Amino acid sequence: MSRTLAKILVFTLVVIGAFAYLGQLVPQFVEHPPQKVVITTTTDKADLAEFGKKLVRGKGGCLVCHKDQETGNERGPDLRKAAAQAPSRKPGTAAEDYLIESLKEPGAFVVDGYPNMMPAAVKPPAKMSMAEVKAVVAYLQVLAGGEPSVTILPEDVATAAAATGPVHRGRALMDTHACIACHSVAGEGGAIGPELTTVATRHEPATLLSKIRQPSTWTAEGFPAGVMPVGDAIPEGDLHEIVAYLASLAGKSYSATGATSPWSHEGLRLGLVILIFNLGMLLVLVLARRGERARGGASHG
Amino acid sequence: MIHPSSSPPVTPYALKGVYKGILKVSVMLALTYALISGLASILPAADYRELPLLGNRVAVWIPAQLHLMFAAFVLGVPIFAVITEIIGAVTKERRYDELAREFTKLLAMAYTVTAVLGCMLLALLVLLYPKFVGYMSELFKPTWLLYIVLIFGEVIVAYLYWYGWDTMQGRYKKWHIALGVLVNLWGTALLFVADAWVTFMMSPSGIDEANHLVSLWDAVANHTWMPINIHRLLANVAFGGAIAAAYAAVRFLNASTDEERARFDWMGYVGSFIAIGAFIPLPFAGYWLGREIYQFSEQMGVSMMGGSFAWLWILQASLIGSLFFAANFYLWLGMGRIPGANRYTKFQVLMILVLALGFLTWATPRSIIATGGEMAAMGGSHHPFLGLFGVMAAKNTAVNLMILTTFMSFMMYRRGNRIPVVPWATVGKALQALVVAVAVGIVLFYGVYSYFVPSLVRIGFSVYQVSAVLGAMAVFVAIDIPLLKGAREIGAIQWGKIAPRAQYALFFMAIVFTLLMGLMGYIRSGIRQYWHVYGRVADESAHAYTMSHGSATLIVSGIVLVFLLLIAGVFALTARQKDKRGDAPAQVALAGEDAR
Repeated sequence: MSRTLAKILVFTLVVIGAFAYLGQLVPQFVEHPPQKVVITTTTDKADLAEFGKKLVRGKGGCLVCHKDQETGNERGPDLRKAAAQAPSRKPGTAAEDYLIESLKEPGAFVVDGYPNMMPAAVKPPAKMSMAEVKAVVAYLQVLAGGEPSVTILPEDVATAAAATGPVHRGRALMDTHACIACHSVAGEGGAIGPELTTVATRHEPATLLSKIRQPSTWTAEGFPAGVMPVGDAIPEGDLHEIVAYLASLAGKSYSATGATSPWSHEGLRLGLVILIFNLGMLLVLVLARRGERARGGASHG
Repeated sequence: MIHPSSSPPVTPYALKGVYKGILKVSVMLALTYALISGLASILPAADYRELPLLGNRVAVWIPAQLHLMFAAFVLGVPIFAVITEIIGAVTKERRYDELAREFTKLLAMAYTVTAVLGCMLLALLVLLYPKFVGYMSELFKPTWLLYIVLIFGEVIVAYLYWYGWDTMQGRYKKWHIALGVLVNLWGTALLFVADAWVTFMMSPSGIDEANHLVSLWDAVANHTWMPINIHRLLANVAFGGAIAAAYAAVRFLNASTDEERARFDWMGYVGSFIAIGAFIPLPFAGYWLGREIYQFSEQMGVSMMGGSFAWLWILQASLIGSLFFAANFYLWLGMGRIPGANRYTKFQVLMILVLALGFLTWATPRSIIATGGEMAAMGGSHHPFLGLFGVMAAKNTAVNLMILTTFMSFMMYRRGNRIPVVPWATVGKALQALVVAVAVGIVLFYGVYSYFVPSLVRIGFSVYQVSAVLGAMAVFVAIDIPLLKGAREIGAIQWGKIAPRAQYALFFMAIVFTLLMGLMGYIRSGIRQYWHVYGRVADESAHAYTMSHGSATLIVSGIVLVFLLLIAGVFALTARQKDKRGDAPAQVALAGEDAR
């Protein structure tokens, strides 16, 4: 028996080993997330084109279908020719506008011979800002041997939305726990308590945490003490989320996690489910035993 | 001996068994919660925490994949068991009932391992990715609770199914089968809930620009949810069947008597039949999933099929191609124990040719790997005259023909010792040959025509090819059933008289199925690249990169090895346990009985 099992084990190892070996034979490469670029209204045009190159090759994912050098994919038009062909592509549309439109709304004009399959660069997954779109246009212009003509406007930068990491829910939680009924933040909310948009510039996150937990710790100047309710009903995780949100408004970084979030209420619910199923099963078991005894008695009788 | 008609269907013994299961799950959940809460309050606050040595990504990957494999097993086995039980009830053949019972017995221990792995996964996720898990748990809050309730429900019905097996016989049998169906419905609901979370990460919907929830139902019913549900359901059945067949193969090779060999040979056949039966429609479910991925995001679709992940499909093709070989090899060897089946041997040469050519076509990469100098000489990454090599048109054609070949192998096996005697037998057989020929013609026609049309038109052709193959299989079976009614039997199947190497084909199938699950799991999760939620929530940890294919296959291989060792442990430990009734093996009649 052990001989058979040994044979089976060897056979298993050979099959798995062959697969692992096959995996080493295909081309090997590691792909890193795209680097974040910061574009401002004063960014130099040469730098802008360089940023555009990074976006085309990274975050934009353009090379999945296009090529910007001799070798590459040909599902979409050759990017090296894009800027040169732009003036004649769409009659009545200036070259720069056409290039911007082809990134923002690729379906608005599709080059003959290519399918309408390109996702808009301003939508996920690329989710480029206007500043980033213009940087790509600058790169296309340089790629075609020209000079970048695009200008970064303040509104282009203002709408820049970098890829978002795990979401902070602090603002929504301020609604949930009714903080906003008395306090205003970012232009919304009541005026009974102090305005909170800049509160984290004056106080550290730990101080803010202690204030919400126990309002009597300190009171803001010009406001009466004893008005704010004790925050012990707010789950620990939510407290950290709110403080993280306020800290982010002040340009500070504060991690909202680390405490029991999001499990503070979940634990109670979980316990309840466990209790219900256990008690239910015990009850059924007792009833079944009683039934069995009754049947046993009846059959003896 | 139990007299079922005099016993109540659900005894306190059965209920005690169920309660043990409930208690086990309760303790595990409570301990996990305590562990997570305790560690989370001690560890420093962070969006990501780093696990030394192994790293977050691999630390989560291993238990996640193992949990998924065990979950597939515990969801696949009840489907396998209830199908077998129904066949037993319909045919009145006791051995089917025994087979179903033998596998259901594994459930209790397999559930425990699945739950332990699930708890490990949960703890690692919450502790290493607290911020992201916080976001997901907030988004899907009602479904977490539903999932826990479903777990308890699954434990209750599955344990009742097992502990009620002996008392729910005779007139209670239909209720026991209904309980088996309930186990599967409950398990399917569990699968669907968990799939909602993972598919949301792939193809998010139901959230606004700021990633806040707009509609929970939209978040659940995202683009890839239903295709993955169906794909996983079918895969679970195939996986359960393959593992059952591998178990039978071990027992066959270790058997000391002809009776044992006959029993386990038959068991291996039933397992492989269910595995192959569920495996044949899997590529079609895969097409659907692929189509939905493209519908959701062209970029994701192109990255998956033609971008950085394209090479993993070559590995997948090699695995599935090998699987087709093993399945046909097993059937052909099995035909050696069927009197009269040798009349089909002559077709095997043609079939192996189709399989070999199909394998070669399928596993051919899209383009050759060329050095910079070679590319410069060719004027691009593709050969100036030959162009692309492994294009989808040829691959689709190859896969469809391989599926049809495997189907034909099984049909020949099925007909091996039987000769139709109905008056319309000749016409019926000619019709069957005609539908297969038409299907082959359609598949080849669209395969060749695909080279002359744009890719968008070409994609639509795969639907015609798939429909032709599915249609031909359906018509063939529809004719075959009445055709073989009252057929003349040349001789009984000689169960147990099969070459030992056929058992290795069964092992091979089980290993390859498991490798496929690991590889496809990596592709499905990996195509999110540096996103937790594709295009919405970025992975900003140090592990956000896409690793090399070599590293990924090494990790998948390691996981598969661990899984096979664990499942072997479950089988070995369950075999040692004594249930109340004992384990008298069912006697398989060697003569006059047919597995069909």
